[in-house]
Amino acid sequence: MPQDRQGGAAETGRDTTRATAKSPAAGIDARTERDHQAISRLADDLLPALIAKLAASGLGEIEVRDGDWKARLRKPSGSGDRKAAGRSSVDVQPGHALGASRGPAAGLAHAAGEERERLAREKAQAEETANLPIVATSPAVGVFQPRKDLAVGMHVRAGDRLGTVDVLGVREDVVAPVDGVIGSSLAEAGEAVEYGQELVRIELPENSRGLGANGADREAAAVLGEA
Amino acid sequence: MFSKILIANRGEIALRILRACRTLGVGAVVAYSEADRDSLAAQLADEAICIGPADARRSYLSAPAVISAAVVTGCDAIHPGYGFLSEDAGFADVVRAHGLTFIGPPAEVLERFASKEATRRLLEAHGLRTIPGSGMLRDEEHALEQAERIGYPVLIKPSAGGGGKGMRLIRTPHELETSFKVSRSEAKAGFGDDSLYLEKYLEDNRHLEVQVAVDRFGHAVHMGERDCSVQRRHQKIIEETPSPALTEAARQELCSRAVRAVVEAGYENLGTLEFLVDAKGDAYFIEINCRIQVEHPITEMCTGIDMVAMQISIAAGEPLGMTQADVVSQGHAIEFRILAEDPGKDFRPQSGQVLGYLAPGGPGVRMDTHIYAGYEVPSYYDSLLGKLSVWAPDRSQAIARGDAALRELLVDGITTNIDLHRAILANEVFIDGKVTTNLLDRVGSAPFVAAGNR
Repeated sequence: MPQDRQGGAAETGRDTTRATAKSPAAGIDARTERDHQAISRLADDLLPALIAKLAASGLGEIEVRDGDWKARLRKPSGSGDRKAAGRSSVDVQPGHALGASRGPAAGLAHAAGEERERLAREKAQAEETANLPIVATSPAVGVFQPRKDLAVGMHVRAGDRLGTVDVLGVREDVVAPVDGVIGSSLAEAGEAVEYGQELVRIELPENSRGLGANGADREAAAVLGEA
Repeated sequence: MFSKILIANRGEIALRILRACRTLGVGAVVAYSEADRDSLAAQLADEAICIGPADARRSYLSAPAVISAAVVTGCDAIHPGYGFLSEDAGFADVVRAHGLTFIGPPAEVLERFASKEATRRLLEAHGLRTIPGSGMLRDEEHALEQAERIGYPVLIKPSAGGGGKGMRLIRTPHELETSFKVSRSEAKAGFGDDSLYLEKYLEDNRHLEVQVAVDRFGHAVHMGERDCSVQRRHQKIIEETPSPALTEAARQELCSRAVRAVVEAGYENLGTLEFLVDAKGDAYFIEINCRIQVEHPITEMCTGIDMVAMQISIAAGEPLGMTQADVVSQGHAIEFRILAEDPGKDFRPQSGQVLGYLAPGGPGVRMDTHIYAGYEVPSYYDSLLGKLSVWAPDRSQAIARGDAALRELLVDGITTNIDLHRAILANEVFIDGKVTTNLLDRVGSAPFVAAGNR
């Protein structure tokens, strides 16, 4: 079973997916055969499923073990929040599929050529994703109430409560995924919202956006956001 | 009648319920998880709402998420489909507490039929024969003692289980000793309840079920039986109606006895009574399913009744509006469960993108599915891609239509069990109508898989 781990583990490098072989003993045919099978299983079965799982979950990182093999995926900055992009109301919009299949950026160290190509594509997608504004999304289906003092231009820290979603009388917090400045509101007070719906835009301060381009800050932000 | 129904399920059944709502002229909202954003039901619905992440515990199994979705979208009823919250008495109760109607039996009826063991005793008291079994097992010693009394082989079953999950076949006292603790902890982990009981195992049995409908006023009809003997590890693969194993007299006897028993026991709404039928033709009641069944289309094809619409009407408090004489079952129907499983690799579930999809057609052919070309099969849920059902005036024509339809059906990009179905249809035991529930497990699927590949 996949071992889910909340994000934040320190890993070097930006290519955040990696499959490591502990002991692919050379020369032993059966062993090699098994490893080949393991590699194709990882690449064909496991990774697509993991990517989908990670993309759909609120988790920052997933690690699975399969025999001697292990694969770890980590989500880049805010990709989880971006999935709901394109849906702005409870009704189905024609473009609602947008972004649903957009997986997290992934880099697979131990991969065949086609895998590498795919990964390059996904990395490019992630870069593109990183330039979109950050949005606080609904934690549940219910009725949205922004915090009374919420105003455009207000500075917030990651984890700050921006409002609540009332689920049958139980209030769930809407939180800022990153440090930033409150931008436009995407839902009215008292509006019925669905799970994952975009509620409040967060603008990144200029200097942080610049730094973000080199990746380091963006990852730090993601870690904060998912924690 | 309701004004708007929240459909709290996924896959083909969400679409089936949406269709029933549309024919009834009732509004519908499809509730979906993030993994099902692209499902056909969510796309075809006039209104759809995301209720949670892919993890069913936080979406389809979350009572607050489902009920909140119904409230904010202005629904007055919730249809739970099958599986998930469909037979959860606690959920039905909370739904009612929020001023909404649960489409299914009322909470207290679900409660009364929640325990399989208690249900067997209840319906036994109302004239149904049951399989010799034990009460709830206290401990291993009690289990051994009961197994001795019933006679081996026995099945060890979790009281809260269903669909064959958590069940174990025990042939010797030694096996019972080694399995008891494991079964108990599996039941605890799987169903949150570690109660177990024993049941005599009938070798070479057939699995039959009787479809009933009871309205609030105690009017009731049965809609015949379905034969679900083609199973693999207790999971149904092919269902047909009528059963080739029953004479017309035996069918009438079984079905009328079943419907009489549930009316007397206070059942309400659609229900399915499952029976095991032994080699002598004796039917033993095993359990009741208080929901719409996966295999309902074959009954619809033979009776012409829209059973989901009927279920909704009953929940809305409307009278059945028909008597047993109005239910006329004609011809023969067979359903094939199209599963995303690889029969060549121990039926491992498959996920990924459906690259191409072509539905079969022709007289008497019906396809219930939520897939389409480009659809991504999520890996979080069961492997049912759809159900192909065929109808014909008699069984041999139904088999021929089934084979023709299976040949036409194309699901590209995902490995499925379509060829396995064709191999089963071509098998003599099936053609003779003599399949027993253990056939696939006894001879193994390999010969069928091999035949299917030819």
